[in-house]
Amino acid sequence: MVYQLNNVSVKYSNRTAVRNISCTIEEGKWISVIGQTGAGKSTFVQVLKGLISNIDGDYLIDQRPVKRDAKGQLMVIPEIGFVFQYPEHQLFETTVFKELVFAPKQQGWSHQQISKSISNVLPLLGLAEDILPLAPFQLSGGQKRRVAIASVLMMNPQLLIVDEPTAGLDPVSKAALLQLLKNWQQQESRTIVFVSHQMEDVAEYSDEVIVFHEGCLVKQLDTRSLFLEQPHLLENIGMSLPESIQFLRIVEELAGEKINISSCREQEILDKILPIWRARGLLNV
Amino acid sequence: MFTFDHVHFYYKKGQPVIDDVSFTIQAGEFVSIVGANGSGKSTVAKLIDGLLLPKKGTVKFHQLDTANPHDLMKIHQQIGFVFQNPEDQFITTTVMDEVLFGLQNIQVPREEMRGRVEASLRAVHMEDYLDAMPHQLSGGQKQRVAIAAILAMRPQMIIFDEATSMLHPEGRKQVLAIMQDLHHQGMTIVHITHHMEEALQAERILLIHEGRLQFDGDPLRFFETVAVTNYQLQLPFQVRLHKTLQLEGPIAVNWKEGIRSQWSIN
Amino acid sequence: MSESVLIGQYIETNSVFHRLDPRTKIVSIFIIMLSFLMLGTVTSYVIATLFVFGILMISKIPFPIFMRGLKPILFILFFTFIYNVLLTKGTVIWSWSFIEVTMEGIQNGVRFVWRIILLVLLASILTLTTKPLELASGLEKLLAPLSKLHVPVEQFSLMIVIAIRFIPTILQELERIILAQKARGHDISNLPFVKRMLAYIPILVPLLFTTVQRAEQLTYAIDARAYGKGKGRTAYKLLQFQQVDYVVGMVAVLFVITVLVIKIGGM
Repeated sequence: MVYQLNNVSVKYSNRTAVRNISCTIEEGKWISVIGQTGAGKSTFVQVLKGLISNIDGDYLIDQRPVKRDAKGQLMVIPEIGFVFQYPEHQLFETTVFKELVFAPKQQGWSHQQISKSISNVLPLLGLAEDILPLAPFQLSGGQKRRVAIASVLMMNPQLLIVDEPTAGLDPVSKAALLQLLKNWQQQESRTIVFVSHQMEDVAEYSDEVIVFHEGCLVKQLDTRSLFLEQPHLLENIGMSLPESIQFLRIVEELAGEKINISSCREQEILDKILPIWRARGLLNV
Repeated sequence: MFTFDHVHFYYKKGQPVIDDVSFTIQAGEFVSIVGANGSGKSTVAKLIDGLLLPKKGTVKFHQLDTANPHDLMKIHQQIGFVFQNPEDQFITTTVMDEVLFGLQNIQVPREEMRGRVEASLRAVHMEDYLDAMPHQLSGGQKQRVAIAAILAMRPQMIIFDEATSMLHPEGRKQVLAIMQDLHHQGMTIVHITHHMEEALQAERILLIHEGRLQFDGDPLRFFETVAVTNYQLQLPFQVRLHKTLQLEGPIAVNWKEGIRSQWSIN
Repeated sequence: MSESVLIGQYIETNSVFHRLDPRTKIVSIFIIMLSFLMLGTVTSYVIATLFVFGILMISKIPFPIFMRGLKPILFILFFTFIYNVLLTKGTVIWSWSFIEVTMEGIQNGVRFVWRIILLVLLASILTLTTKPLELASGLEKLLAPLSKLHVPVEQFSLMIVIAIRFIPTILQELERIILAQKARGHDISNLPFVKRMLAYIPILVPLLFTTVQRAEQLTYAIDARAYGKGKGRTAYKLLQFQQVDYVVGMVAVLFVITVLVIKIGGM
């Protein structure tokens, strides 16, 4: 599915949250949304999910305008999953199982559909079946987070919006969670819209980046172009380059040549530089 | 100056949260306590300030014992505590009142108050926000007010309990810079974190895992000798770089200069 | 929304009332309101009305703002009036079936309604010219003698401060949770009444949970800053009566005496 916004603005009583946003979100990509606090990122993703009922401009899914209710207001789009910041704060049921079936029940799913979805979702998030009867408060912080995300993935969304999903997690749990999301996105050819302040994660996982500044969508471009060709866009929003890319820059400068890389993943950058380093005889093996 | 002597702590008997931990901190040190989510590192922080009391063992600041209610007030005044969530430690309704709160508690003479409030806000570059209300401040600004509120009480030591973890990059940088400033002015700093880049700023690292002290020593030796991923932690970038490129010599804290100098040697 | 709770209804117009000690305002307004219970004759009503409107003028607060304050009680005013008109016995001036409207009824109705209006206008002077925190500290000082009887007046005052501080935060949290549950397909708008009550569970349970966590953190934060229970604290702002406080206090007393004299003299 293709999600398309044309000239969308959202005004609240005393201010304009986003102004003339136009963008296209294509299937099968990991798209990161970056910008300072208050730049319009969260309004943008809420518009995508249909959580803001009053918008100016057009919202099309597969070239067709999205459904509106009798009053002409936008409605929540069920095919899109939305994981809020600290999603474990929305858990309320007495068991993990009930938590997982909450959304499907609201949609009137059958038992078969539900149990099929559960057996799909649990391994996706690295959860075992024996946690189903447990109460959410018996789980560790990281597990609660994954249960909350699982409860969103239960609906089998085509597009998943995640707002800083790793906030507060330790480095290994964080990397594990992002890798699980990446696997899901790639294997099932789904779309992820990832709101983040961590440029390292943006460089590591995304295919495309949308840059927000002061309520405007400044640019939508692929990750490589952002970090390698247009880093000034990051400077303008007060973000710094990931250290691996700074390193790449320094080596390019020292070696006086351009180093060709195909992605911004740290491992690839280090792998590319190692031979150059070795060729200079800089290794003490 | 500060001692943790065979400290045990649990909420439920038989499920130790802190299991026989001992260490001392000298005046003026900058110590990072690291560990994964749920390792017990934040419990250690609360035990240091007497917000939690040990079930066994003693926690002492100079001669003051956290188990003694009379000492506890003095400990609270001399050890400041910056919490993780900027929102939940802003007690009053304006920046001014917030900094005053502690001063009123320790009964600072009224004439001194205004001066102390202004000086401590200047130290964290928040002097222009005297009348601001909490909802007008960013997370980083709230943390700076929290630090000012502590500084006004003139403590000898400040504990930062994952105080940067809910902040955006900008706010995080500011708080880390203030920590360094205070350290250079002689303040004892205890920084609880699972961000290894931040831990690298400290002079000493304590690793807590499953309630036990697993490592106590300087950061470079920590990253050279400890398999940090076993503890759900990650090597900082410069250490990853050092290992991948098999660089000579000790790990450079400023890796950019390290790279340039290595390149020019050959 | 957050702002509105922190400043309450407070409006800055820099009038005499804004400079008054909160204690003066609380006590003066309280005794004047009490004296309104003695209003009876037309003369006393006229004097009270002139007095209240004089106060409104001095407050420099635009008149429509006071009108806005009366809006929510229009309903009550209407029923007070009808109640009096229909249930007062006296000279019948109009009747239909069992309904009788009397001259005395109309007079009583007008009196009662007018008295309520005066009370509300007077009370709104207090809230419009005093910040919630000043009110709290004024009350704390007025209640201070009670702490000798081991009533925890100071802790009570801290509680008020914290409540004022955290209501906006908790409201924001509530909005967030409603949005998050809405995104999970939870919609409360189109449900029948009983189901709608149950539908609040997904919102209230998480809210309760995070609020309890918040409270726990806050307790630590308060302890960490050496707040000792019943240990005594130094106040930063000394509430001190100025000349203007005495003048206003005297005026209030004078008004009460006037009303008394009218009442006793039967004017």
